Amino acid sequence: MSPDGDLVLSLVGGGEPALDSGYEDPPPRKGFFTDTSLCIGCKACEVACKEWNEVPADGGLDFLGLSMDNTGGLGADTWRHVAFIEQRKPLNGAEANLIHSDRDPNGDFRWLMSSDVCKHCTHAACLDVCPTGALFRTEFGTVVVQADVCNGCGYCVPACPYGVIDKREEDGRVFKCTLCYDRLGEGMDPACAKACPTNSIQYGELDELRERADARVAHLRATGVADARLYGRDPGDGVGGDGAFFLLLDEPEVYGLPPDPVVTTRDLPQMWRSAAVAGVALLGGIAAATFAGGR
Amino acid sequence: MPAYMVSLLKAWWGDAATAENDFCFDYLPRLLGTHGTYDTVMAQLEGTCKGYFLMGENPAVGSANNRLQRMGMANLDWLVVRDFSLIESATWWKDGPEIETAEMRTEDIETEVFFFPAAAHIEKDGTFTNTQRMLQWHFEAQRPEGDARSDLWFMYHLGRRIRERLADSTDERDRPVLDLTWDYPTAGPLAEPSAEAVLQEINGFGPDGAHLSSYSQLADDGSTSCGAWIYCGVYADGVNQAARRKPRTEQNWTGGEWGWAWPSNRRVLYNRASADPEGRPWSERKALVWWDGDAGRWVGHDTPDFDLDKAPDYRPPEGARGPGATAGDQPFIMQADGLGWLYAPAGTTDGPLPTHYEPQDSPVDNALYGQKRNPARTTYDHPGNRYHPSGSEPGANVFPYVLTTYRLTEHFTSGGMSRWAPHLSELQPESFCEVSPELAAERGLEHRGWATLVTARGVVEARVMVTDRMTPLNVAGRRIHQIGMPYHWGPNGLATGDSLNELLSIALDPNAHIQEDKALSIDIRPGRRPRGAGRPALVRAYQQRAGIGADTGTAP
Repeated sequence: MSPDGDLVLSLVGGGEPALDSGYEDPPPRKGFFTDTSLCIGCKACEVACKEWNEVPADGGLDFLGLSMDNTGGLGADTWRHVAFIEQRKPLNGAEANLIHSDRDPNGDFRWLMSSDVCKHCTHAACLDVCPTGALFRTEFGTVVVQADVCNGCGYCVPACPYGVIDKREEDGRVFKCTLCYDRLGEGMDPACAKACPTNSIQYGELDELRERADARVAHLRATGVADARLYGRDPGDGVGGDGAFFLLLDEPEVYGLPPDPVVTTRDLPQMWRSAAVAGVALLGGIAAATFAGGR
Repeated sequence: MPAYMVSLLKAWWGDAATAENDFCFDYLPRLLGTHGTYDTVMAQLEGTCKGYFLMGENPAVGSANNRLQRMGMANLDWLVVRDFSLIESATWWKDGPEIETAEMRTEDIETEVFFFPAAAHIEKDGTFTNTQRMLQWHFEAQRPEGDARSDLWFMYHLGRRIRERLADSTDERDRPVLDLTWDYPTAGPLAEPSAEAVLQEINGFGPDGAHLSSYSQLADDGSTSCGAWIYCGVYADGVNQAARRKPRTEQNWTGGEWGWAWPSNRRVLYNRASADPEGRPWSERKALVWWDGDAGRWVGHDTPDFDLDKAPDYRPPEGARGPGATAGDQPFIMQADGLGWLYAPAGTTDGPLPTHYEPQDSPVDNALYGQKRNPARTTYDHPGNRYHPSGSEPGANVFPYVLTTYRLTEHFTSGGMSRWAPHLSELQPESFCEVSPELAAERGLEHRGWATLVTARGVVEARVMVTDRMTPLNVAGRRIHQIGMPYHWGPNGLATGDSLNELLSIALDPNAHIQEDKALSIDIRPGRRPRGAGRPALVRAYQQRAGIGADTGTAP
């Protein structure tokens, strides 16, 4: 199959990425449902991920001042990242009792915590652009980098619509969440989900997780949490739905997530076709000019 | 002498403990007063405490008034530190704050400091005991690296060497050491003592040499031995019950066959109260134990915490004493009346009813009483432990803010187990303090900038976090700003910073002698703290401005 054929398949597949990638009778697609309404910000996921996957510390020991977050974001050496967002917003009935009476008569305060991770997109641009096959689709429908194949070209880095995949500078290769591919093969839960004490990170079959998430968001809305929403759950979105999706309590931008991500390779076939038409036209023009000049 | 005590003495001194010599009761050292950690520091400063073992403790960061802790250690003949890393309590004599300020010079310090690297929990056999009283055995997964050794190795071989040195002694005072049962088997290239042998000694043995299964078997005639009555049964039937790992899917919901809980593997104390007066579970779903009338005994999912054959309708006869005086419907068997108590009417220095006193160092007077501070608290008179004027006392306004202290999930206590771990250090890398936007504006503090915090004990610097989570308090008609600060950092390790406990005084609660470290008055200013001699000079300047002397804040 030509690279172009791979590309087209990835973009038009029916949302069963393992099947679309050529696996015969793959196991059900696996993923994460991260319910941020349950996150307590303990960062056990960050530590468990690094311990299991032997991801080094980021080296920086800087105080970032981002509330309790000193990680900052996902990167080559951070595959789970817990964001802390301090807001002056109603807390849906709970009493924070943090009254700054001279500035904010309403006094409502809330603290959002959210564990971010690679989205394991249905249409994964990182995988589309990888020239070496280091990035591949697993039988579980997840997207994994093979470190021993990656040549460090870095094409995948700008291709990711979420800014997840990243190059380890001192190493040259790219790294990201594998959804603990080695643990999945043994029938184990990913390290972050195993370590999560509140079930904020839930691992399982994607279809079942989507049902669970739909019920959870309906429950939250029914109890007055009007801002509760799912992010990356919709198979019709710009990346064909995320294998790792989220329940958020505010706009995605509040959490540093793009509001409407689109697989960056979506327009490539059209662009190639346009380029081909332009090329043919150009060649025709040159030929015409040559023949004309020959006269 | 009660059976528990005799059995303990038999466990420690074996054949040497006989009825004729009171089972060696007089071998036990006597309490000479309070021997708490802060009293020990004072004894070090007075020169009466000459030697100190620190095993998994880091008072140069973790205890109130760090400077006084270091001054006490600097007055010792010897100090032994056993820890994973070179914690601050092991290196203060060469790089501590007092060396930097020239208050101490290394060549003047006569304390001989020994550092012994400690093995981690995965490098040794042993138990974890959690707050549910459950013991879980863990096995050595790998041998300790380098010179690291388990605590058990250290204590056993230290005792063995001391006994060898004393072997020919005829001095009576050496008998308690020489008569000890100190015969644990060792194995492997490190001669690691058997932790299971220690657990068996703690469990205890009967007259026939068999493992005891319950503390009810303990006798006062010297025929039984038991190192701790509450642990009796942890090695019942010669099996390490703490090492049991039956999955929850193969046993009832109380999980009684996972590990072992003291005493008697009871998972819930006073579980008789889970059944009604007639002995029927209040809730079938939450049932723990119940009275089986046909069998005439208490049965259930959990081990009954009640005399097994005492029927619910048992009523004690006139003049009954001890357990026999507890009726069949009185579950709280450790209380004289068999009933649950909302408070302890006797036995506490302060109480029984709660009341409100202001902290030792407070910006306000007590709104409830003329009595400002708890009159029963313990204070210590030392030039390094001066207190603040409070409320309406002159000079209190020199420390106009309130400091409250807390911990983070990312670090463990004084940091010996976390500040050297890269994956934890990067999550909370630097000492910081939290202030409201209002206080930041009042004192010119910048988010992510530096602040200097001052009390009459010390001065530290920390990074600033300006956050709406910190709110001014409205107290006594005044607006009082509070500062929040976690305490885990010190100058050593990967994640470093000044130690918050430099700021704290030693003032103890009357009952448990816990240091008062959750609320105190303080001043904060922008920028980094002075270096060198300027650091103690700033503290002295604050003391003078506030008119602080030996009597400040010490009235009952």
